[in-house]
Amino acid sequence: MMLRLAITGLLRRRTRTALTTAGVAVAAAMLLDMVMLGSGMRESFRGFLEQQDYQLRMSPRGTMPFDTEATVGGAAALVARVMADPDVEAVAPVLGGKLFVTRGDSVVAAFALGVDPALQADYVLVEGRDIAAPNETVWNGAMLEAAGRAVGDTVRAAAGYDPQLRRYTGARELVIVGRGRFVMLSGGELAAALPLATAQGMQADRADRISVALVRLRAGASADSVASRLELAEPRMSAISTEAALRFVDERLGYFRQLALILASVSLAVGFLLVTTLVTVSVNERIGEIAVLRAIGVAKWRVVAQVLVEGVALSLVGATLGLGLGLITARWLNGILAAFPGLPAAFDFFLFEPSAAFRSLGLLVLCGILAGLWPAWRAASLPIAKTLREEAVA
Amino acid sequence: MLKARRLGALLAALVLGPGGVAAQAPWRSITIDERLAAAAGLTVGDRAVLATGAGAPGDSVIVAGITRRGADPSEIARSEFRVRLHLDHLQALTGVGDRVGRFAVATAPAAASVDSAAARINALAFGFRAYRAADVAIETSATFRVVNRFHRAIGVITIVASAIFLLCITLLKVDERRRDVGALRLLGISRGTIVRAVVLEAALISVVGSLMGAALGYGASALVNWHYQGVYSTPLRFAIVTPGIVAFATLLSLTLGVVAGLLAAQRLVRQPPLELVGR
Repeated sequence: MMLRLAITGLLRRRTRTALTTAGVAVAAAMLLDMVMLGSGMRESFRGFLEQQDYQLRMSPRGTMPFDTEATVGGAAALVARVMADPDVEAVAPVLGGKLFVTRGDSVVAAFALGVDPALQADYVLVEGRDIAAPNETVWNGAMLEAAGRAVGDTVRAAAGYDPQLRRYTGARELVIVGRGRFVMLSGGELAAALPLATAQGMQADRADRISVALVRLRAGASADSVASRLELAEPRMSAISTEAALRFVDERLGYFRQLALILASVSLAVGFLLVTTLVTVSVNERIGEIAVLRAIGVAKWRVVAQVLVEGVALSLVGATLGLGLGLITARWLNGILAAFPGLPAAFDFFLFEPSAAFRSLGLLVLCGILAGLWPAWRAASLPIAKTLREEAVA
Repeated sequence: MLKARRLGALLAALVLGPGGVAAQAPWRSITIDERLAAAAGLTVGDRAVLATGAGAPGDSVIVAGITRRGADPSEIARSEFRVRLHLDHLQALTGVGDRVGRFAVATAPAAASVDSAAARINALAFGFRAYRAADVAIETSATFRVVNRFHRAIGVITIVASAIFLLCITLLKVDERRRDVGALRLLGISRGTIVRAVVLEAALISVVGSLMGAALGYGASALVNWHYQGVYSTPLRFAIVTPGIVAFATLLSLTLGVVAGLLAAQRLVRQPPLELVGR
């Protein structure tokens, strides 16, 4: 009955109700998008890191993995020492560098990763097979396309270029045995993976050097305590846990989280204002009706409840529409931010988490309830006789 | 002919340690950025040791100056410390010999075209590639271009939300005066006069609201700049309210206000006056 009365009240002014619902829907969509943006980047990056199934990343002291071109020497001994830690299950050494391949008169330059094929977590094979011999390589689709090559081709590739001697250095014949998707690289970035020993051997100054070592811990081991232990044992290296890497991402992309917080607050405020305005005006218009209801014995709480139901109905319908609208706009905004340089191609800025989404929309509905509270209470508390007289005169 | 001033630059990772090693003369001077100065507790005149790695032999240097980051978008999210030293000093320290990472080339004011100068350099120096400063700026500000597009998209959503909000409020305001409008119509005031009055009122509210919004925008942009300049230690301005932006916002708001007022007023004056006064 109460719901029917509330719906009848809202339908009496259809245009107004439709506009308010649309306004609440846009506010809800923005709120949802900002909640998705606030948690999406962090969780998306966490997904990438956990997908690799290595809990620690060791990079030259003071740097983040591949954030600079720094490398460390004595890699084999370093890996052996890290492996000696009782909590360490596996260590995957990686060397970053360049790979140059000619195509006609031009040169194609790619990011090269020297990896241990049995332990690597940097790419997922999508075509062909994995590296099995020192002269084999796996390229990503962008690299194959840029170099005009296909899986199965043999290419002559170099690791460097000496402008003084005008020649490429460390040139090798490599066989492309597979096409891989490099999980941590951005969309158009050209990439190639080759055996670590081959990558180290292609440049004289890279012998027995690595850029990063991925460390897999045994079940139950604490990443933070192992990281501290390893940093103490290896003063040239920083050991970065997934949480520390996420803190770094938070620092780099903190702007978006702050923007998300501000815009989410503005969206909530707009939704609150809209519902408050509509319910207040609606109640003011029906003061006479409310006074009559009170005069014939309808309890004050029932009048308050009915007005509140109107606010809740508006917020609920708006939030439901906003959920759909928010998912569409999130996709659009994600498409814009996908061009953000230096982030993995599959990185999602907007991640839909049902619990967070429903919590935020629940907050909007709560705002709807609060928005109706004051006008409802005011209307139900008016002196009945005086209000009836004034309404009759009007 | 190119009259070029050449600036060599070599980038390298260095380690800064506390001073106090055996005397050497003359001490070379370096400048460090203010973040490094704060983190390492260094001031102008302090001595330190520069090395290419932890534990590696290094050079004793004197801090001759403390620099502040320029307003460069590409630097914004980078957290490394910066040390600047003379090119020959860095070359000697890192043992790379007579090598540089890049040159900055200033063309003579009379140079016909930077493009043709770049083409001549590319033809002249095998193994190098010359880029126009503008192209480098575009490349390095890719982050900001993406953020700019994102802001524009958010702006579009905000405009849609504002339009709905404004239309809704105008409709409510006009609806609130149903009886007044009904009485005016019964007194013989024409529909056109009522529509014009409502539209004028909506336009005035829009303009006043826009001016208040501009003032709020100035305040908010000052707050944003103060906050993010502190966070990223940069003089870069993150939010700027220009006269063009104020004019655009006012015009948009005025248009929305007039349209909203027109729609609401038209809707009202179509109803019979007696119905408006509740009879």
